[in-house]
Amino acid sequence: MIAPLLAALTLAASSDPCAAVAPLPHPDPASAPLYREVGDSERAAGHREPALAAYRDALRNDPSDAKSRAALEGLCRAPAHADPFQEGVQRMQAGQPREAIPFFERARAGGPDPSAALLEGICWYNLGDDEAAEPLLREAEARPEHREMASYYRGLVALRAGSSSEAARLFDVASADPTLEHLSSDLARVAHRDGKLVLSILAESGWDSNVSLAPGGTFGPTSASDGTYGVSATALYRILGPSGPYLRASGFLHDQFQLGAYDLKGVDGAVGWQVGRGDRGALAEYDLGYRTFGMNPFLTSHQLLGSGWFTAGGVVWTASWLGRFESYDSGFSPFSGFFQHGELRATFPLGARVLAGLAYGLGHDSTQQSVLDFTEHGPGALLRFGLTPRLRLGVDAAFTFRQYGAYDPTLSAQRSDQYLDGAAFTEYDLSNHLMARVALTGREAFSNVDAFAYTKIVPTVGLAWIGGW
Amino acid sequence: MITAALSLALSVSLSAGGSGAGEHLLAGAGLFREARYAEALVEFRVAQKLGSPEASGYAGATLVQLGRPEEALEAFGGPDAPARDALLDYYRALAAFDARLYLAADRALTSLDSRAGPRVTSQAARLRQEIATALSGEPPRTAVDWYLARCAEYRGQHREVLARAFCRESTELGARRSDRYGAQPHSSSDPAARPALAGSRP
Repeated sequence: MIAPLLAALTLAASSDPCAAVAPLPHPDPASAPLYREVGDSERAAGHREPALAAYRDALRNDPSDAKSRAALEGLCRAPAHADPFQEGVQRMQAGQPREAIPFFERARAGGPDPSAALLEGICWYNLGDDEAAEPLLREAEARPEHREMASYYRGLVALRAGSSSEAARLFDVASADPTLEHLSSDLARVAHRDGKLVLSILAESGWDSNVSLAPGGTFGPTSASDGTYGVSATALYRILGPSGPYLRASGFLHDQFQLGAYDLKGVDGAVGWQVGRGDRGALAEYDLGYRTFGMNPFLTSHQLLGSGWFTAGGVVWTASWLGRFESYDSGFSPFSGFFQHGELRATFPLGARVLAGLAYGLGHDSTQQSVLDFTEHGPGALLRFGLTPRLRLGVDAAFTFRQYGAYDPTLSAQRSDQYLDGAAFTEYDLSNHLMARVALTGREAFSNVDAFAYTKIVPTVGLAWIGGW
Repeated sequence: MITAALSLALSVSLSAGGSGAGEHLLAGAGLFREARYAEALVEFRVAQKLGSPEASGYAGATLVQLGRPEEALEAFGGPDAPARDALLDYYRALAAFDARLYLAADRALTSLDSRAGPRVTSQAARLRQEIATALSGEPPRTAVDWYLARCAEYRGQHREVLARAFCRESTELGARRSDRYGAQPHSSSDPAARPALAGSRP
């Protein structure tokens, strides 16, 4: 994105323009004043290199041209070395922001230099030092030719600091430049949906082909299909911004139009702490959850979550673990126990518009009856496509092998299941806060016990609102 | 490469007759080919002073290489100057692009048609794709106003070629908006007054 800026500021290297000037074998003294005029014009416009070249040409043709000699000496006296700004640009182009910074500092030492301030600010941003970047970008922003680019980077700084409303304002400014418009608009939407406080509400409705997980039945009258509707809401409060403690509260209802015995509702309250940011970090969280099933008390859970991630070679590696103490009510109490699940995930871009992820998970459930205990593991994959700045498509797939802990005399088998899960969704941003969503999820369950083999398909349409402050 | 092609084109154009200006043009072309753009510019400027009508175009191409697109556009006579050599017209489009005059750049690239060789045609196609991407959405009001402000700024500096180019870009961007904000034809009145006028529309 800044390549054109860098290219525009890069000049071809040349030999020492301040070395002694040798006269031409066949000089043309009449041309010397013309060269000098060009030199004067370039010098007045602040273009040092062409001015030096012009004065040297004047002297080559007329060594007695005192005005050109004085002008050349004057230009050469000021900066004894190569233009520090160009030196900085060259190092920046070579992917050496830390090495470029001292040159931009030198370029600014002689007085205000918004171009050098802009590039130095970008270097500091790329090095993760937002405090150093901010005043430089602010200085560059004062100049019309740098306003949009500087605002764009200030927006990124604000976004990283969790100041979403400020980031959104800055991205709006940056979007005045058509080359930054798409990027800025996307980030403005992100900023409008991010911040210390984030509220989100999703309302969905659809159809469930197999509410009761009936074996064999898929779309026929034997399977218990029904229409569904649901609402979920989440409030996330990150007290100090992205890094630091946070509180989260959420609630949902997922009801059937007719089969009310399968209605599920729940609330969660969580407290956690995150350190680091997107490229490297970790978090720990405690979550207290409560669920009802068919309007009856169903589950109370205490969940611990730990996760850490880092970026290497363009791949974000994430390791996470959760452990949940589950306490089921009445008829479900044998399922009570401790469930834990760990996962290793690699997420990486495939081109400019596609994000891919590969994962492998391992889980175990210890219940009150060994026939209900299980260990499961399996791979998963995800793809996210940014079809347009407002339209996204996602595809998830997973395969899980689940082995139960003991022979079940009731089933006359030690149960062994496999699950093929798939999901596809598309989201369209209707505004900075509002998003439409269409999704299709499904599961094919295989089991050595026929009663537990089933198919389930759930298409839904929904509307989400997300706001950040 | 394109720089070599420029030198070749220049050499051919000069082969018909020499002059004092011609020598400077040739010297500039040699320096341009060696990517010694600052020195090349000096030679082209001297050729201009000696009355060469071709020199300004070559100075324009050199100014593009030096990252001075606005001055390049002035040297070319504006982004919509009459077409001449296909290569120089490509540089004129580049100057417009670098000056953020995307619609003007697109017009200049379109006018290249079949006059350019395969390399220039290929690069022109890539540039047009970039422009299409940059302009795929509805231009925001702030963008229209930005071009209008540049127009007023250049008019204040008596740089009429640039003022006209930025005003036209502003008008045409406005015409791409559903509310046609800023799309009314320009009059000779002060363009700086237009944002307020446009802002008063529903």
